[in-house]
Amino acid sequence: MASSTRSGRRRIAVTVVLLFAFVAVFVVRLVDIQIVRADTLNADSLGNRSVEQPVYGSRGDIVDANGVVLAGTVMRYNITLSPRNAAEFERTTDAGKVTVTVAQAAAEVGALTGQSGDAILKIIADALAENKDSDYAFVARAVDVSVFRAIDKLEIPWMYAEKNPSRVYPDGAVAGNLVGFVSSVGEAQAGLELGQDACLASSNGIETYEKGADGVRLPQSTVTTRQAENGGDVVTTIDSDLQWYVQQVLAKQAIATGAAWGNVVVQEVKTGKLVAVADYPSVDPNNVNGTPNPDDRGSRAFTASFEPGSTFKALTAASVLDAGVATPYSKVVAPYRYLPANGANVNDSSGHADLNLTLTGVLIESSNTGMSKFGEMISDEQRYDYMTKFGIGAVTESGFLAEDSGILHPWQDWDNQTKYATMFGQGLTTTALQVSSIYQTIGNNGVRMPVQLVAGCRHADGTMTEVPPTTGTPVISATAARDTADMLEMVYQKGWLAAKWNIPGYRVAAKTGTAQMPDGQGGYTKGYLVSVSGFAPADDPQYVVSVSLADPVKLNSSAASAPVFQEVMSQVLKKYRAVPSGATAPALPGTW
Amino acid sequence: MSDNLARAPRPNWATEPAAAVEERRHIEIVSSSSQRRARPKIVYALSAVTGVSLIVLAQLLLSVGISQSAYEVSRLQASQVELGRTAESVTEDLVRSSSPQSLAANAEALGMVSNSNPVYLRLSDGAVLGAPASAAGSQGGAASLVPNSLLAGVPLVTQLPQGSGQGASVGGAVAPAAAPAAAPVASTATPNGLPTPATR
Repeated sequence: MASSTRSGRRRIAVTVVLLFAFVAVFVVRLVDIQIVRADTLNADSLGNRSVEQPVYGSRGDIVDANGVVLAGTVMRYNITLSPRNAAEFERTTDAGKVTVTVAQAAAEVGALTGQSGDAILKIIADALAENKDSDYAFVARAVDVSVFRAIDKLEIPWMYAEKNPSRVYPDGAVAGNLVGFVSSVGEAQAGLELGQDACLASSNGIETYEKGADGVRLPQSTVTTRQAENGGDVVTTIDSDLQWYVQQVLAKQAIATGAAWGNVVVQEVKTGKLVAVADYPSVDPNNVNGTPNPDDRGSRAFTASFEPGSTFKALTAASVLDAGVATPYSKVVAPYRYLPANGANVNDSSGHADLNLTLTGVLIESSNTGMSKFGEMISDEQRYDYMTKFGIGAVTESGFLAEDSGILHPWQDWDNQTKYATMFGQGLTTTALQVSSIYQTIGNNGVRMPVQLVAGCRHADGTMTEVPPTTGTPVISATAARDTADMLEMVYQKGWLAAKWNIPGYRVAAKTGTAQMPDGQGGYTKGYLVSVSGFAPADDPQYVVSVSLADPVKLNSSAASAPVFQEVMSQVLKKYRAVPSGATAPALPGTW
Repeated sequence: MSDNLARAPRPNWATEPAAAVEERRHIEIVSSSSQRRARPKIVYALSAVTGVSLIVLAQLLLSVGISQSAYEVSRLQASQVELGRTAESVTEDLVRSSSPQSLAANAEALGMVSNSNPVYLRLSDGAVLGAPASAAGSQGGAASLVPNSLLAGVPLVTQLPQGSGQGASVGGAVAPAAAPAAAPVASTATPNGLPTPATR
């Protein structure tokens, strides 16, 4: 009995001691791991298991009015390599294991990326020369999926691909002048890309996950640290098909006439929406360096102002009609040279005997002297007010980046010559957009609609924000607008270009302009800016087409721009199924 | 409950120690029925052990299943990424091919001409609206003046070799049909700007 108790005690004692020793070992180990070496071990383990990767939010698209993508985001891949690890390796092929040298691998990759093998070897050598532990060097930027896959298939252990979301412009130079472009690292640089960056911009997210020893993602271990956000789509009012046609016609004529530059604006009369804004030359955003002159990479229709010349006479005529001081039948005698009492000196473009013209006739003949005699019927202040109401001297509502406001000095600052020059489109400058807007107002019964290029920013949930205002402002009375349109129709029918811009089946209202171009030093160059602006069908105006060609050396008159007007307007009427005019135009007398 | 317990007289250690040593009878404490009932039964232990091992087994199987699925998920995700890439690149090709430059060049290559003189027939009274006129010729001639560097190296439908791949079969089917139709048009229409079908 006693011995069994003693052995029991001994057993307990041994057990307790062992237990304590055991626990002590664990405690020591625990303290060592959890406190002493905690940081290093944690970092090691996370580094082994945890993978952090960016989740790319995609930059929004720029689309045309019908949803055709003008600028979109695609995934491209940067091919990089680790110079310090570049060494020969074994590749398993059908014929067994093959040793691939660095030079062979470089040649294989070079054949896919369009580089020479030596160029890639040089990249490795250069990187190592700079830093012998270099672990990162670019081989090629933004290669597409097929190249990426082909390189991936080569299984070169020291070559990696990283994602590089890139911008692509499927329609090339179609609306390239408006859309703009981004830099090679994705920063918006011009046009709508830059102007609408707030809508388009996306933000990248981060997600971390843990992977097992074999690289497989552990279930339930994905943690999204930051949510990626996609950018919104910019919806423009442009029609890409029409835009292409207009650009093609403009480029053809600009090349044929040797013009320095030119632009065409097509605007909806009832809404003020721009359906096409073509520029020549224009940039292909996929290949910005293909357009060497930086001035050719934007849209001069928005950013270049010029003296409009005779197309501006429509505004003066509409103003005097609205003021009630004249009618289309009002008569003046238009001499070749007119010397008003204030000392100004106005003459017509070519010599002629005194002409007995009505206001309609003044527009048909595009007489500066005749227009001066009508313009002086109202005060300078009144004319200035009409001009500002027509949108002259202020940027349009389009919101296009770096838009030019043109120059319109306050009427108090006009000198004697400017007082008259502003009646026929000199002494002030306008952009092609502002000229188009004048004709839009006349075509729309005297109500000027805000010029609209962007219909809004469409978000992922389908909501549209930043929708521009669509309320028009009355500028002149409907009667004055109607009368002006009738007179412009007479210009179209009886003007000197009647044969050149004839569109069978439709009634058209149009006016030409030929203006000297400033040389930037206070004088004028020898070249002219020739233009045609008008709208159709004249009986129910739907579309404004405004053409400007700068310095067409081979045909220095508005005869150069008239064929563009004819072709573009025909296409616009056909495309939008404008019903041909039934009734004939009212016949207004031009002479008396 | 009847009392069926065995009863043993308590030995009198004090009075008869010698007799007690001598006799040395086997005695034990007989547990009461409630005590016996309270004693753990083997079946309980067995069921507990079985339960635990079942749970362990289930957990093991489950984790095997989960990790197996992890490989499956990983594989499917990789294939989804690959398919997404394929879809993206094919869409890119499609969008590029539907650009106005590509459509116009292909239409012209097939002998089509754009006519910008629209004429309408009003069904209500049969009136002809507009003035019919023949097409003035193709727009801008053969060369596109609106560049698109994405189309560099992309062949026209008429240039695709016949019977090689899907795209070629479309071109091959259209081209022979278009050739005889386009030939008389080309011979009678204005010579400038019209593509010549003979080049095919």
